[in-house]
Amino acid sequence: MSATATSNALPFRRWLVLSVAGFVAFFAIWWLIAASGLVQRQFLPTPPEVIEKFVTLTQSPFVGYTLQQHLASSFGRFAAGFGLAVLIGVPLGLLMGWFRWLDAIVTPLFDALRFVAPIAWVPFAALWFGTGIGGPVLIIFSGAFPPCVINAYRGAKFVEPRFVEAAQTLGASHFRMITEVLMPASIPSIVAGLRISAGLGWQSLVGAELIVASSGIGYLLVKGQANISTSIVMSGMIAIGLVGFAIDALLRVLERRINARRGIAG
Amino acid sequence: MRASKARRPAWAGVLTFVVLAAAWYALTTLTHTISPGRFPAPGETWDALRQITVTGYADARLYQHILHSVKLVLFGFAAATIVGVPLGLAMGASRAFEAFINPSFLLIRPIPPLAWIPLAIVWLGLGDAAKVLIIWFAAFVPAVINSYSGVRAIEPHLVEAARTLGVPRAMFVREVLIPGAMPMIFTGLRLSLQACWTTLVAGELIGAIAGLGHVLYQASLDIFPAMIVVGMAAVAVTGAAMTALLGAVERRAMPWRAR
Amino acid sequence: MKRHFAALAAGITLGLATTAASAQQLTEIKISYQPAVYWALPFYAAAEKGWYADLGLKPVFSTFPAGVPQIAASASKSWDVGALGSVPATLGAARYNLLMIGISNDESDGNAIVATAKTAAGFEKNPGSVKGQTIVLTANSTGDYAVQSCLAKWGLKKADVTMKSMGQAEIMSAMSSGNADLAGLWAPNTYTMEEKAGAKQICSGKDAGAAVPGAIVARADYAKENPQNVAKFLAVYLRAWNWLNAHQPEAIAMMKKFYEQGGVTISEASMKKEFSTRPTYDLAGQLRIMRRPPGGASEVDGWFTKIGAFMQANGTFPEAPAASKFITDEYMKMIDADPKLKEFANRSN
Repeated sequence: MSATATSNALPFRRWLVLSVAGFVAFFAIWWLIAASGLVQRQFLPTPPEVIEKFVTLTQSPFVGYTLQQHLASSFGRFAAGFGLAVLIGVPLGLLMGWFRWLDAIVTPLFDALRFVAPIAWVPFAALWFGTGIGGPVLIIFSGAFPPCVINAYRGAKFVEPRFVEAAQTLGASHFRMITEVLMPASIPSIVAGLRISAGLGWQSLVGAELIVASSGIGYLLVKGQANISTSIVMSGMIAIGLVGFAIDALLRVLERRINARRGIAG
Repeated sequence: MRASKARRPAWAGVLTFVVLAAAWYALTTLTHTISPGRFPAPGETWDALRQITVTGYADARLYQHILHSVKLVLFGFAAATIVGVPLGLAMGASRAFEAFINPSFLLIRPIPPLAWIPLAIVWLGLGDAAKVLIIWFAAFVPAVINSYSGVRAIEPHLVEAARTLGVPRAMFVREVLIPGAMPMIFTGLRLSLQACWTTLVAGELIGAIAGLGHVLYQASLDIFPAMIVVGMAAVAVTGAAMTALLGAVERRAMPWRAR
Repeated sequence: MKRHFAALAAGITLGLATTAASAQQLTEIKISYQPAVYWALPFYAAAEKGWYADLGLKPVFSTFPAGVPQIAASASKSWDVGALGSVPATLGAARYNLLMIGISNDESDGNAIVATAKTAAGFEKNPGSVKGQTIVLTANSTGDYAVQSCLAKWGLKKADVTMKSMGQAEIMSAMSSGNADLAGLWAPNTYTMEEKAGAKQICSGKDAGAAVPGAIVARADYAKENPQNVAKFLAVYLRAWNWLNAHQPEAIAMMKKFYEQGGVTISEASMKKEFSTRPTYDLAGQLRIMRRPPGGASEVDGWFTKIGAFMQANGTFPEAPAASKFITDEYMKMIDADPKLKEFANRSN
C-alpha cells in the first residue's frame, strides 16, 4: 500500500512482534475465561480441547463423514451456487450498465429483493427442489448474486467516457462495446465484487445447512449441538472460518495480480 | 448508490412491477401453471396479509412483529457501531494498534454470524440477548473495515496541515479524523444495517416469540407459502425504509457533501 | 475356428443380456426417512441384509432433519415412499396428497415433556406449577402433540404456558445449558438429554392417554401408478421389524451403528428401552388396527382424527383431512392376498 495519511508503515520486526502478541493474546484470553469457570466448562472448552476435537474429527467420522469430507460436500454446493451467480450476475451487471432500459427494468426488482435474507428462501428451496442440489444452490445464489451484479454494473457505468466515445466513433457494435471496452475496464470492480460475493455465498451456505442438510459442515455444526458437544461446534466454526478465509485470501491474491498487471496499486 | 438515479424515469420501475404482478396473476390464478403448493397466488397472499395485519399470526400482529424486529436490529446495530467504528478508526490511525488487533479480527471475521447460534444459545439463553449477539457479529465486521478504510483514505495534506499547526490529539480526532473518514464510515454503516436485516431472520430461529424472522419460521413449519411471501415482503420493505432513514441521517451529518 | 468364435460371441451376448435383464429387474424406489430414529431402523436393516433386492427393488434413500422438510420435498417428487411422524404426515396428507399406508410403530412413550434435573421433582409433584412456564418444542411435530396432550391431562390450557418453537438440536442446547426448564422432545433425544444432561421425562404421550403413532407414507400419485412397488416396500419393512424383534442383540448392535451415523450415541440400556417401550406391528397387527367396520372407523382412523383435530385447533390448517380419505390399508391387503409376499413379510429370519 502506498504511504497513507496518518502514519508511516511499521518496521517489519515491530509488526511481527505485535502481530504475534495479538495472536497469543487472543488465545490467552480465551483460555483464561474458559479455565476461570465464568462459563460452564462444558460450554466453553479450552483451546487445546477444541484443537484435540478438531484433529479427532479429521480422523474419525462424525455423522457419517470426516471433517474434510463434510467440508468437501459443502464446498461442492458452494462452488455450484457461486459459479451460477458469477455466470449470470456479471454479464447481467455489464448489460445493465450499458443498456439504460435494462437498468430501468431490473434495478427496482433488484432493490426489492436485496433485503430478503438468503435464509428466507429455505422453505421455497425445499418445496421446489426437494432433496436435489438445487435447494442449497438457490440459497447460495441468492446471497452471492447481488455483489456480482452491483460491481459489474458499477464497473461498466464508471468506465472513462473517452474510451466509450472512442469506441463509438470507431463504430463498435453493442457486443464489441461490452466485451472489448466495458468488461476489461470493469475487471477491478468485478474482481472486488467476486470477493464479497464469495464471502456472502459461503455464509449463506452455512445458514442453509443449519436447517436442511444431511451432510456438510453446517450439518456437522447442528449435530454437534444435538450432541451437547461444544467442542464439535467450535471445531466446525473453525473449519468454516478457515475455508472462508482461504477463499477470501485466494481471491485477494487474484485481485492483486490483476490490479498489478494493469498498473493499479493494490 | 445508483449514480444515474436522476436519469432513470420513475415510471419504468412502476411498469416493471405492474408487468410482474400481471405475470404472477396469470401464471397462478388464471392458468394454474404454478400450483399453489409451489408458490402462492396473489389472492392467497392478500388473504395472508389481511390475516397477519388484522387477526394476527405467530402470536402477534404484523405491526408488533415489525416493531420487535426493528428493536432487535437497532440494538445489534448500535452495539456493533459503538464497538466497531472506534475500533476501525483506531486501527486506521495507529499501525501498531492495527498489528496487534488484526490477528484476532482475522480469526473472528470469516465465521458466519449464523454459525454463532449454537454458542449464543448456551451462553445467553433463548432471550433477546442471543439474537442481538448474532446480529452484532454481522454488523461488526463492515463497521470496522469501512471505518479503517475511511481513515486510510483521508487526504495526506490535511493530516500534514494539522500536524504542522501542532493540533492537539483530541482536536485532531474530532476535527480531522472523524469528518475525513465519515463518508466511508457511513458506507460501512449502510452495509452493517443491511447485514443486520439479513441476519435477523436467522437470529429469530432461536426461540423467538415475535418478530418477522419468527413469522417466517412459523410459516415454514406450517408450510404456508402465502405467509412466507408476506413475511419476505415485510422484511424487504422495513429494511428498505431503515436504509432510507440512514441515508437521511447521512445527508444531515455530512452537509458539505453535495449528493 | 469361425464356429467357435460365433458360439463364444453368442455365449457372451447371452450372458450379458441375462445379466442386464436381471439388473433391469431391480426397480428404483425413492425412500425418505429421518436419521437416528427408531422407526427408521428397519430401512437400514433391510438395506444391510439385501431384502430389497430379494423383491426386485433398488432403494434410493434420502434423509431429512425433520418431518416438515420431508413432506415439503414430496411436492417436487423427490421421494416416493417413506416414514415419518404422524403429525407431519397429517400435514402432508392435507397439503401434498400423501397416503398413510401403515403404522411404523407406537411411539406414544417416545414423545414426552422433559424437565431439567433441578426442576423435574417439583413439576412431578405438582404438575399445576407448569402454569406460566416456558416450554420449548418443535411445532407441528409428535413432540408438540405429546406436550399439548400432557397439558390437557394436567388441566392446563395452551394459553397457560409460553411455547417457543425451535429445532430439536437448539432445544437440547438450551436445556443442557440451563436456559430452558421444560422441553417437548422425541426419542432418542429424550435419552440423550437424560444421559448427558441429567434431565427427566415427566410426562409422555402414553401417560397423557394420547396415542402417538408413527406413519408409513406414500405419495398418492406414485401409489396409484406403482401399487406393486408400494406393497413390496411395505413387505420389506414388515420383515425387517420381525427380524429386529426376533434378534435383539444383533438389532441393538445395528441400532448403535445406525444411530452413530446420525450423530446420536446413547447407552445400551436406552437402546433396549426403545425396543421395549415402542411396540411395532406385524402384518396381522397392521390389518387389525387398520380394519374399518362397515360404515365405521378403524382404530388408526381414531388416532389420526384426534391428531387432525389437534392440528386444526393449532391453526395449522382450517380443516383436518378426513381419516378415511388419506388412510388406506389397501397395500397391506395386497400383501395379505399375495401368498409369496405374505410369506416374505412374515419371515423373521
